[in-house]
Amino acid sequence: MFEDDFYRSSSQYRHWSFTETSLQKLRATTNAHASERVREALRRAREARQSASSSAAGTPTPTQAGSDADSKAGGADEKDIECLTPEEELQLVKYYCEQVILVGESYKPALPTIVRATAIQYLRRFYLTNSPMTYHPKNIMPCAVFLATKTDNCYISLRHFAEGVPGDTTAEDIIAPEFVLMQSLRFNFDVRHPFRGLEGGIMELQSIAQGTGQPAPHFPQQTSDTLRRGLLAVPPTPGAPSSSTITDRLGRAHTTTRDLLKTAAQMTDAYFLYTPSQIWLAAFYLADRALAEFYLDTKLGPPTAAADNNNNPLSELRSKIYRTLTNCASLLQSYKSLAEDPSQKATARRISKKLYHCQNPEKANNITSAGQKRIPAAAAAAAAAAAASGDGGTSESDMERMAKKRKLEREQREKEGRDLFGGELVAQRTKD
Amino acid sequence: MAPPRASMAHRGDEDEVCPVCKSSRYLNPDMEFLINPECYHKMCESCVDRIFSSGPANCPVAGCHKTLRKNRFRKQTFEDINVEREVDIRRRVMQILNRREEEFDSKRAYDDFLEQREEIIANLVYGTDVAKTEANLQQYASSNVRSIRANQALEEKEATYFQEQQTQEQELARMRRQAAKMEYENERREVLAGREDVLTRLASGRPADAAAIARQGQKVLLKKSSARRSEEERIRQKQAALRNSDAKKSGQPAARAAGQDDGGFIKGLKRIKTPEPEKPYDPFGGLVPGKRDYFTQSESYPSSYLEPIRQNAQIQAGGFDLREYYSRTLLEAFAGLGCFIDEEVSERDSAAPLSVGQPVSTTGQS
Repeated sequence: MFEDDFYRSSSQYRHWSFTETSLQKLRATTNAHASERVREALRRAREARQSASSSAAGTPTPTQAGSDADSKAGGADEKDIECLTPEEELQLVKYYCEQVILVGESYKPALPTIVRATAIQYLRRFYLTNSPMTYHPKNIMPCAVFLATKTDNCYISLRHFAEGVPGDTTAEDIIAPEFVLMQSLRFNFDVRHPFRGLEGGIMELQSIAQGTGQPAPHFPQQTSDTLRRGLLAVPPTPGAPSSSTITDRLGRAHTTTRDLLKTAAQMTDAYFLYTPSQIWLAAFYLADRALAEFYLDTKLGPPTAAADNNNNPLSELRSKIYRTLTNCASLLQSYKSLAEDPSQKATARRISKKLYHCQNPEKANNITSAGQKRIPAAAAAAAAAAAASGDGGTSESDMERMAKKRKLEREQREKEGRDLFGGELVAQRTKD
Repeated sequence: MAPPRASMAHRGDEDEVCPVCKSSRYLNPDMEFLINPECYHKMCESCVDRIFSSGPANCPVAGCHKTLRKNRFRKQTFEDINVEREVDIRRRVMQILNRREEEFDSKRAYDDFLEQREEIIANLVYGTDVAKTEANLQQYASSNVRSIRANQALEEKEATYFQEQQTQEQELARMRRQAAKMEYENERREVLAGREDVLTRLASGRPADAAAIARQGQKVLLKKSSARRSEEERIRQKQAALRNSDAKKSGQPAARAAGQDDGGFIKGLKRIKTPEPEKPYDPFGGLVPGKRDYFTQSESYPSSYLEPIRQNAQIQAGGFDLREYYSRTLLEAFAGLGCFIDEEVSERDSAAPLSVGQPVSTTGQS
């Protein structure tokens, strides 16, 4: 099928599609690596503290109580640090994915669904290969949203964006982990969403309802008339009001499906396990089962007897697709939103408390410096912007750095002046 | 048709006698003997003129009833009439079975062909299976006319080329000889002239300069001869280079155009492949533009919020085409419907096990 090959060429298929087992394995590996590193880092920190305290031991201890507290803290360190399990990590990431939606709503106008969905997928992809113990989701989440506004062509200026983020997050804090994030995404910014596919499907169904439907390429015997009659013959859903027209029914199914895609599809592993087309059809299947079956039958032919299933590739494909859609639908159904399940919030709070103890201390403040190391120009620009927008006084280290830079430049000019043909023309002009 | 051995023994003798008219060389010293490859019976020139001038006739030798023609009579090349005959047969067979080594799959196949040819020649010479061999040969000749002719042409070409090469080389050698001779002459003349010059200068100059003039004269002479020598060396090198490049250019045999069916008479011939006719160029590489497997796009779709866009000239003026939107949404509706990730990805992972389970950035000290 041409459409399938089209999807196979996407980076989402090539790099971000997993089987359930490989997804679990990947998360477990990530967690194991991160826990190991956290333990090592904490041990190093403890050793450093101990050597510092032993050097300080020369002076008389101020109070008995203080040393007691010290030894108690040391005892706490002695016992093994409890790290997050992969499931807890997943829970935490899920909680922050829910936060993305809230952040998106805090803007006026609210961020488009597709931006939020992209941000959530960025976050989920990021935490496949990174652990919340290494990079706290509270730092990564705003950055993912900001990156999504840029990649989805919905740019907001950084300052405006920073105002919408809850807490006292500054603009620099938001973009600090940007490079780390992009690197972990393997610079695959393209996320294939099921939303546009849903629009297409509903659009086609509506044209069928109006009697202008086109036959599917594999079933040229269909006419717009037979299609329309078929659609009208679809058995109504049990709970629906019987007097509603087919257009109303389509509209209702559309809204339900869209809500499912906005929440359940984002908060589960659906994007990793299924293709966007399967996701929207599964959601549609949940929303209006009879309608979804009718639509698939127009594309893949009516159900056939099991006997000739083997020789017809289309009916084989059909049975396979139905199997996949059922799996996907049950995955989507398993999702429970925060409002439905208040215990999730409590769990998230518990996990983040636990995370406070097992956060990698060496990475906690490291993100910014990493960014600077990678993109010195951007970091310098950011620093300059901060200096301009700040209280006007540059810090002492900045002054020192500037002085050093000026000195270096002066030396460079002198060296060039001694050159046989003089220095660069532009440099000379600046000297004049 | 065994030739009469007795007459052969006396060829060139003074008292050689023509077996037909019995006139002897003694009486007619200019007598020439001729043979006909039909039966190899020898007779004198005057007999041939006498008997065959008025058209084909039977051989006058008693017991031989072959019909001979005058134009086929020729002088004997070899003294032994058997050798003469074998050479004739060989020439004829070689003209028909003129396959070349490059036409065979392997060296072995070519060698087998050579052996087969020798066998045929031997059969014809010693009279074993003559009828069958002849028939085979004729059949081969008639079914391979084209390749035989092509090979003949090739052979001729090679022969003429070889001839040309020979004459060219001879010519070059002659020119070299002439040049050497001229050079020698020139040198001698110059030596003489130099000597004379020195003498005249000695005669006209003062006695004190005598030694200096003599030394100078010697030097000039040496310089001239060495300059000439280096010049000649240069020309010679140039000519040699020219010769080499000529040889390279014409050394290639012409491309082959052969390949009729020879009915399996000769084994191991190379199959001549006719190149497949080139297909017309397909810029999409087999992809049919606009072809979809799950849907057929129609001109417009009913939609309450797309309809205003379709009608709005302001939006349309910029080149926005709603059909682009239709095709994109419909394509994305079905893109990947038939991609079963659990199957395909596990296949892919088993093919390249490194792609999963390698958290990239957690290991990086970024």
